[in-house]
Amino acid sequence: MTPKERWRAIFEGERPDRIPTDYWATDEVTARLLRDLGCSTTEELYTRLHIDGLVTIDPPRSDEHKAGNPGADLWGLRRRLVGYEGGSYDEFDNHPLAHMTCVDELDAYAWPSADDHDYDAFRDMLSRAPAHRMIRSGNFEPFLLYCAMRGLEQAMMDLAAEPDFVTAALDHMFGYYFALAERTFEEGKGRIGVTYIAEDLGGQTSLLMSLPQIRRFFLPNQKKMADLARSYGIHVFYHTDGAVRPVIPDLLDVTGIELLNPIQWRCPGMEREGLVRDFGKRVVFHGAMDNQQTLPFGSAGDVRREVLQNIEIFRSARWVCAPCHNLQPVTPTLNIVTMYDTIHEYGAL
Amino acid sequence: MPVIQTLYDAILNGNAKAAKEITQTSLASGVNPQALVDDTMIPAMNEVGRRYEANEYFVPELLIAARAMKASLELIRPLLSARGSEPVGRVVIGTVQGDLHDIGKNLVGAMLEGAGFEVIDLGVDVSPEKFINAAKEKHATLVALSALLTTTMHSMKGVVEKLNESGMRPGVKVMIGGAPVTQKYADEIGADGYSSNANAAVALARRLVAA
Repeated sequence: MTPKERWRAIFEGERPDRIPTDYWATDEVTARLLRDLGCSTTEELYTRLHIDGLVTIDPPRSDEHKAGNPGADLWGLRRRLVGYEGGSYDEFDNHPLAHMTCVDELDAYAWPSADDHDYDAFRDMLSRAPAHRMIRSGNFEPFLLYCAMRGLEQAMMDLAAEPDFVTAALDHMFGYYFALAERTFEEGKGRIGVTYIAEDLGGQTSLLMSLPQIRRFFLPNQKKMADLARSYGIHVFYHTDGAVRPVIPDLLDVTGIELLNPIQWRCPGMEREGLVRDFGKRVVFHGAMDNQQTLPFGSAGDVRREVLQNIEIFRSARWVCAPCHNLQPVTPTLNIVTMYDTIHEYGAL
Repeated sequence: MPVIQTLYDAILNGNAKAAKEITQTSLASGVNPQALVDDTMIPAMNEVGRRYEANEYFVPELLIAARAMKASLELIRPLLSARGSEPVGRVVIGTVQGDLHDIGKNLVGAMLEGAGFEVIDLGVDVSPEKFINAAKEKHATLVALSALLTTTMHSMKGVVEKLNESGMRPGVKVMIGGAPVTQKYADEIGADGYSSNANAAVALARRLVAA
């Protein structure tokens, strides 16, 4: 099977020839892996480590600065590079909605439009995409964007104290994303395999916000996005970090997710056996290679044991082997190679 | 002094405006500011913490309750200082070097304030030297370290080592927290305690200053 056939099989409830694998990492990790393994391209790296990685292609958007806001992106957000030992992250440098107090101000904001994208370039990129890889298009995570535009704490408080404001902002974002997805899916008809819907709903020990808040503010728009994707035969990949056990039934029944990432099994409620027992027939599990302890700080033996353990636990379900979120620079190359080598050695189905 | 129910409710419901107004009125009518803290505000924040632990409150409710508590505390604090009241403990808190994530740290800081601690917040991306200097200068009894990233959590070790070298230990206790942080890690680096959430951090801090 090709990587694309493997993804298709696992989404559609068929048996792939082997457990599919995916790759999430920071740029620094990818650069180091390329160097350490003597690969010159990501495709070469994927082949060397037998990674069934998705290829992400979206209609490129104009990066022209907003008027009066030099350096900002289409949302009016500016970023700055923040270094840590071994790498750096882009962090947001301004919160353009922070000062607003009413919905009228929100309505007057210069929201981006789906017309700001170049669909000719998108078609061209699709035509050049490798035929053996599954294509991922679309990225819907509006509350994350809201947190960036409003400031994280204010955004969180808004869920409890300013429901009309947060609803109006999320609706503006949804309007843009839905129109963009319609155009994207239409242009990429028959080529796009999967779309990405996400919202970080969990912390390390519990949900970040209450179920009624999640149901009110997030799920209805997620459902519309997922329904749109499905009407084009596109599968729904869903990401939420953390301890999110209480919301999984809603994600399945309301949003209609097909795959859940990243399965942080060390978080309370996220124990793999229980998830397989309760949801294994309805969803693909993606991730489950612990990225807080095992991969960064465990030995190669620990990594190997975790892969073998996951193979056993997920035997009666569907699992894509991948790290829980981006591999970080503290993760030894040996641990990463061990993860992919072990799943290649033992992952035949 | 009995609980002032309206203030208690305003904090619990995260109504900062009401909390401020009730505090103003109470102080104007001669209520003892220390009694307001001890008999109404701390019990209210204890209840907020209890609801959080019981999954009745989540981060949004915790944040608005803390905001209401702070609105009230801002009016009371100068009066307490003027009376020479001593806090339960002095905590220097911050997110470690290289890490800009502060919501967890802010929640812990707010809950500690709500429990009667004086909180000196050094912000994010704080170097070990800055933690040591602030602890020395402010006569801290506790240093609280936060990290979200596996790539930055190891700065915590540097802070503990520098505190050891400074001779301030064991008088100054160290507590740590953040997504990738564990009790095992706290033991490894010689921190005095770990907590997995903001409410548990209050219980831990109380235990550490009493030790």
